[in-house]
Amino acid sequence: MPTEFDVREIEFLDVSKRFRLAEGQSLREFLPRFFRKKGFAEPFYALRDISFSIGRGEVAGIVGRNGSGKSTILKLIAGVTAPTEGEVRVLGRVSPLIELGAGFHPDLTGRENIKMNASILGMTARETAERFDDIVDFAELWEFVDTPVKRYSSGMYMRLGFAVAIYSNPEILLVDEVLSVGDAYFQDKCLAKMDEFKKSGVSIVVVSHSMELVTEFCDRVMLIDGGHLIGDGPPSEIVEQYLSIVPHPVETTTN
Amino acid sequence: MADLQITTRHPLRHSFGLLDLAVYLRRFWQRRDLLMHMTVRHLRGQYKQSILGYAWAFVNPLSQIVILSFVFSTILRIAVPEEVPYPLFMFVGLLPWIFFSSAISSATDSVVNASSLVTKVYFPREILPTAAVLTKLVELSFGLMILIVLMLYYGHPPEATSVWLPLLFFIHLVFTLGLSYPLAALNLYFHDVRFLVGVVLLLWFYLTPIIYPVSLVPEKYEIIFDLNPNALFVNAYRRVLLYGESPGIEKVLLGALIAAVTFFVGYYLFKKMERGFADRI
Repeated sequence: MPTEFDVREIEFLDVSKRFRLAEGQSLREFLPRFFRKKGFAEPFYALRDISFSIGRGEVAGIVGRNGSGKSTILKLIAGVTAPTEGEVRVLGRVSPLIELGAGFHPDLTGRENIKMNASILGMTARETAERFDDIVDFAELWEFVDTPVKRYSSGMYMRLGFAVAIYSNPEILLVDEVLSVGDAYFQDKCLAKMDEFKKSGVSIVVVSHSMELVTEFCDRVMLIDGGHLIGDGPPSEIVEQYLSIVPHPVETTTN
Repeated sequence: MADLQITTRHPLRHSFGLLDLAVYLRRFWQRRDLLMHMTVRHLRGQYKQSILGYAWAFVNPLSQIVILSFVFSTILRIAVPEEVPYPLFMFVGLLPWIFFSSAISSATDSVVNASSLVTKVYFPREILPTAAVLTKLVELSFGLMILIVLMLYYGHPPEATSVWLPLLFFIHLVFTLGLSYPLAALNLYFHDVRFLVGVVLLLWFYLTPIIYPVSLVPEKYEIIFDLNPNALFVNAYRRVLLYGESPGIEKVLLGALIAAVTFFVGYYLFKKMERGFADRI
């Protein structure tokens, strides 16, 4: 489906991603297989011939059952993994909200971890200094900013991770179910912030099991099943299609 | 901030040439901020939970110099060339060796240890082994303090030719980095690599003239030492620091050539394997 947005910020051209399942990681397992040229684990396609593009400022949702390949798409956009076949084109700075705080070091303080994580996301020291107060304000962690993050609750941890990513000035924001953690108050705050992004022309890709979130928030939704793109269109249409392929539809909500 | 650019993620088995290598090195350089952060993070993590903290960086070289000096100058009595006391002779070789071997082992594990990061965010992965190597510079500088105290104690202050040291060490550092890249990458594919590295480093220690002078080596085995870059570096350190001799221009050039080739080949291999990292963890 052609998008109404003129700049194609993200483009997938016939992308396939293949994994080998259960492949051992020691020479003892590898060498015999290598010399016999057989016996490697069956390849498994996480994605198969996926093509789509997402325009600048578009908010695209990706839905599908567990293991359908949604997160692999996010990883391809983030550049963490490479396609087996096809091409992925990305224009602009990507900020992944995938499992927030992955870069945190438990022994470092909140302040040190903000600088560290901001640097991982590609911010310069000056940018970080400029936005430091905003980050701590957003996370509401002034009291604990000089405490090692290992003393943080999981909610605090997540808030800090989200705040850093939000203020990293992304051009493309990847959101993977992060909103299912945290209390309703913080979730609303994040949604408000994401709305702001939407208005300022940031492209957002949301992976979620929450049909409510997807319907409300996205311009367009893609449905992935078994590694294939089987639906691409307005949220209401695709949500209906999704519910028809889920064996026992259980409504999950973000609250 | 990284400038706006179209990033195309090609299929896994895509090859790249020398020009791409220059692009990768430039992007790496743009992220030197992150390299500093990672290095500091490594350092903080290393000694954080210990009572002695950074004092451990002194304990390791000190204990080695005491025990090796005792064994090889009191029990085995290795003859070293003129006027240099054995502990001093040995320590000038041991210190760069400790740097080299600890940097290599730490770098080998660096990418595996950062798996949670590698599967989530992209940044030039060579930052991880590079930070692991740079972390060891701090320990090296502590070791240098011990060395200076030792030299003053034995009444054998550094010779004027010591001005060669920064250049020699820079070449040694480039060589170390070049080796650490492919090892860090391979260790993701085969966890055997870390064990192999341990064994090779042990053999390499004995085949490098650290506890003995190269003059004791029988002629027919000299080839081993000519082919061993670490022997080249250790000998050069001794000449400039202890004997007031020039390291020899041809030796410096040879070392620089070995280091440059190791670095570029190692970096190339690393970048080649990098694209599959996240799938391997």
